[in-house]
Amino acid sequence: MTEKYLAQPDLGFIAQVRGLGGETLKKCYQCATCSVACPIAPEDSPFPRKEMIAASWGLKDRLISSGDIWLCHQCGDCTDLCPRGAAPGDVLSAVRAAAITEYATPKALAHAVNDPKKLPFILGIPAIWFAILAFITMNGGETMSKIFHAVFGDMLGGRLHWSHAHEGAEHVISHANFVSTWFVDMTFIPTAIFVTVVFFLGLKNFITGIHENAVLEGKTDKTTLDYKELGQALIRVLPTVLKHDKFNECETNKDRATPHMMVLFAFIGLAVVTAVCGTLLYVGNLPGPYSQLNPIKWVANIAGVALVIGSGMMIKNRLDKKDDQITSYKDWFILGVVFTLGLTGMLTEMTRLAHMQAISYFFYYLHLIAIFELFFFLPFSKMAHLVYRLTAMAYAEYGNRK
Amino acid sequence: MDKKYGVYICTGCGIGEALDMEDLVDVPDEEGINCTTHPFLCSKEGVELIQKDIDDGKVNAMVIGACSRRVNFDVFNFDGCIVERANLREGVVWPHPRDTYPMLEEDQKDDEEHFDPVQMKAEDYIKMGMIRLEKVKIPEAYELESFSKKILVLGGGVTGMAAALDAAKTGYDVTIVEKQDALGGYAAKLRSQMPVAEPFEALQTPVVADMVAEVEGMSNIDVRTATEVARIAGQPGEFTVTFKKPGEKIPFDVPFPLPEEMLVDENGKELDAEAQHEKYLEYNEGREDILQLDPDGELYGAVVLAAGWRPDAIEGEEYAHLGVDLTNVVTNDEFEMIAAKGKIVRPSDGKEAKNVVFIQSPGKDEDDADFEYAGSVTSQVALKQARYVRDDYEDGKAYVIYQHMRTPGLQEYFYKSMQQEDGVFMTKGAVTEVTEKSGGLEVTATSTLLGENLAIQADMVVVAAGMVPATKDDPIINLAYRQGPGFRDNDIFGQYADSNYICFPYETQRTGIYAAGTIRRAMTIEESIEDATGAALKAIQCIESANRGMAVHPRSGDMTYPDFFFQRCTQCKRCTVECPFGALDDDEKGTPKANPTRCRRCGTCMGACPERIISFADYSIDSIGSQVKAIGVPSEDDYDEPPFRFLCLICENDAFPALDMVGMNRMDYSPNVRFIPVRCLGSVNTIWIKDSLAQGMDGVILIGCKHGDDYQCHFVKGSELAEVRVKKIGDALSSLALEEERVAFAEVAIDEYDKLPEIINAFVEEVEDLGPNPFKGF
Repeated sequence: MTEKYLAQPDLGFIAQVRGLGGETLKKCYQCATCSVACPIAPEDSPFPRKEMIAASWGLKDRLISSGDIWLCHQCGDCTDLCPRGAAPGDVLSAVRAAAITEYATPKALAHAVNDPKKLPFILGIPAIWFAILAFITMNGGETMSKIFHAVFGDMLGGRLHWSHAHEGAEHVISHANFVSTWFVDMTFIPTAIFVTVVFFLGLKNFITGIHENAVLEGKTDKTTLDYKELGQALIRVLPTVLKHDKFNECETNKDRATPHMMVLFAFIGLAVVTAVCGTLLYVGNLPGPYSQLNPIKWVANIAGVALVIGSGMMIKNRLDKKDDQITSYKDWFILGVVFTLGLTGMLTEMTRLAHMQAISYFFYYLHLIAIFELFFFLPFSKMAHLVYRLTAMAYAEYGNRK
Repeated sequence: MDKKYGVYICTGCGIGEALDMEDLVDVPDEEGINCTTHPFLCSKEGVELIQKDIDDGKVNAMVIGACSRRVNFDVFNFDGCIVERANLREGVVWPHPRDTYPMLEEDQKDDEEHFDPVQMKAEDYIKMGMIRLEKVKIPEAYELESFSKKILVLGGGVTGMAAALDAAKTGYDVTIVEKQDALGGYAAKLRSQMPVAEPFEALQTPVVADMVAEVEGMSNIDVRTATEVARIAGQPGEFTVTFKKPGEKIPFDVPFPLPEEMLVDENGKELDAEAQHEKYLEYNEGREDILQLDPDGELYGAVVLAAGWRPDAIEGEEYAHLGVDLTNVVTNDEFEMIAAKGKIVRPSDGKEAKNVVFIQSPGKDEDDADFEYAGSVTSQVALKQARYVRDDYEDGKAYVIYQHMRTPGLQEYFYKSMQQEDGVFMTKGAVTEVTEKSGGLEVTATSTLLGENLAIQADMVVVAAGMVPATKDDPIINLAYRQGPGFRDNDIFGQYADSNYICFPYETQRTGIYAAGTIRRAMTIEESIEDATGAALKAIQCIESANRGMAVHPRSGDMTYPDFFFQRCTQCKRCTVECPFGALDDDEKGTPKANPTRCRRCGTCMGACPERIISFADYSIDSIGSQVKAIGVPSEDDYDEPPFRFLCLICENDAFPALDMVGMNRMDYSPNVRFIPVRCLGSVNTIWIKDSLAQGMDGVILIGCKHGDDYQCHFVKGSELAEVRVKKIGDALSSLALEEERVAFAEVAIDEYDKLPEIINAFVEEVEDLGPNPFKGF
């Protein structure tokens, strides 16, 4: 690297990182204890020493495009050993949040999700939306049936009927009677498409960015970007991700690995359940609720419990570690959403089985809002790490980061 | 004084068991001197025993054969008596165990085969002690004819005012001399000063204004602005000071020594003394000789030198890469002046300077040196000035590129607070270039914490000019001393006024002149104020010692002073030239004038004098010479194989305590060496060496403090001079067919006691290989 780098400190970026939980970013005096302490930093130009000075200098350009910030799993070993009371782990976490914002389109949504003042809006809008849908489902059933009938007739063997409730099973509480399955899917399928597009746009910039940065800082031996090889690298890192190998190398925050793994597998389980249920409904014409003896229910229940316990443990860990680890709004937001999602899901099911219809409907209502928060804000919230960290790890594998 | 001699030997601490007491007591007995032994001489009972003999008029000069004189000196302290301590414990029985040197059997005592080197050493020490008692006198205090307790403070800045206030508050009359028209010095020109109080995070208004008001309110402080010192003549307690207006030429301007280029003729040959003197007079035409006292001069007791500093000039080819000729590249001093006027603006166009780069080291990636005279203060100033940038502009950015960031003590908190300032960016690095670019400046640096080749765009660049002590440009003190108006050898201290920074803070190489503040080293305002207190106390100590005829330091309380037997003086000027403290002034004939209160009593003059006419009441050529002669030198007449005999003249400041430590640690070395502590190796007169060799001793070694640039000699030049003299004596020895290896010189630091046995034994072995002194037995 012989070309000179024009440093352009960005005071706004410094303020942003401070606000996202990186309050200690200026405390670093570059002793590099953190880089030595880090169990997962590569040997060649290890993090987070260089990220710390870039952060304290407000060098947004360097940090946003750094793949290294994603290799950090926030073990906390660096924070623990920092002689100056700086918390590199938390600073990198804040920088990641800033990077998520930077890659997101529209940025306003990313700013909103990181701003506690906007919470009433981002909760209120889906709350009103689902309330409207519930109102229509509960009161406009006949009208909707007519509309469906008029539009689709008996296409696909009657699979396009308005109601998916078990016919003649009056004693069974079906949430489709509260918010129609159609409405649910008409909300979430466009959401999923939107999220995918946002991620696609973000990832394109992200991959180019981290590649250019890696070439510039000599962190890779590749000069060009080969997406096929990158894809293969992604497959190679999957076992590491699933087994939490990197996470398990941590010392200070070792206890975070298990809950994180529980949550990850819970989401995988729930994704499988959702796919199977969708297929059963639309292909097999078999609407829920299903019997508790059905294997898909076993998976769903285990995953649901794992999600509640996993996210619950994460919350407890963070509450216990108030002094050691900074938990900022962005962290509480996502933990709250995940925990609420799991808990309301389980409570919906339990109250349903207990024949407490009104209460069950209420929990289902909350559950829907939580799902919306999670999915809609996926590319804007901390949850986006799912995509960016995976990509960064795949790139590191691809680029032979040592 | 009518001396009544006595010898007291303690048999405690293993002395009684290790030595043949009967034989030892016989030594004084043979001279008809009463000898008393006691098993615990430093006990109340033991001391009372001696005191009773004193009270009964039986004794007033005594040898105490016990422990080293470095211990129990307060116990064996008898008013009006001469006390000599023979070091039997640390010097004889502790280092030489009887396991190694068995005591003689009764039948071995009188044969010519056996001898007891340990007993011999003990007996020699008693003899050496007894002869010294005969040769020394109780010192009488030197009294000055006139005496002043007034303190003169040179410099009216923070340091000078603080020193004046401290001295004035203890009741001394003080005069402050300030060259400028007003008090305050540099500190008066600052916008802010570094924090001095908890939490050490915020800058504060300079303390100067308050200090000026306080000084002006003190009735015993006389302030003379627009004044400087033409000359300071005389000595502590009676300095005669002539003042003048700055730039004025008056007869009592001190004469300056000839510059080096005037000491040679056109062909580069050195002029003879007479021609030099003639040139000197010509050079100083219109100036009174140093010995001419100004009848209108004012008397002062001591001087505090607080003349401060000037900002270094960063200019020339060496710094061209820093763009020092560009208008918007300024020194920290110039930046301070801009900041003091108001918001920080560019000198070129008066535009707001929101991006400022502070360069702390010359860079170029050659080495990591800082600017000359830069240090912790320049580091802190950069932080302070970065604060100005942030204070003046909400979006201001201050960059600090350093090789070293030094924030000692609690200033670390200030550093921390600045580091955590959003708009302050620091990195270690070497600045490679400062260039003009698109209406601003671009600074490039390499080897930074952000990687190679960093570029920063700036409105202004500030380079860290160091603080040059005023003594670099000017002697300031203008002493009417024969050795010259300023301090000697200031080059080894980087022109700071100092004598030994670690061991003797505030002291300069001129007794009675105490340096404080930035003339001693770069200091902050806070440090200078504290430093001033130290110097003020030193000045008071000097006055309160000089008035009682006592030495100030390092031989505090010593009442002796050099006494000259002028009838035999050959006016060789060696004493005047070699005195490390410029204590002696010679007249036009070359006869030295002693200035006892300038003297530190090291005896360097005594060591230098070829006529041996200089002595102290209790330390003279004769007193040491007689001790040398008292050492028994066994020859073949006494024993078949007589033991070798060595003399060690050992400096009492560091080497002798180290030797005591050798004893305390029971480390053995050759028992054939006799040690005589001397005030300083500089006081060693070569006659002692010659005499000892003439009486058959096999070798002489001088052990003293380290010399050189980081010398440890308490009298600055002593051990250095001693080494030169030893080299010279080597030539004389070879003319006598004596090997020059028989005289050696060694340096030892006080913490190197473990090396001493090695040094001593190596010397002993070397001389033993040469064989015995051929003059032995003559």
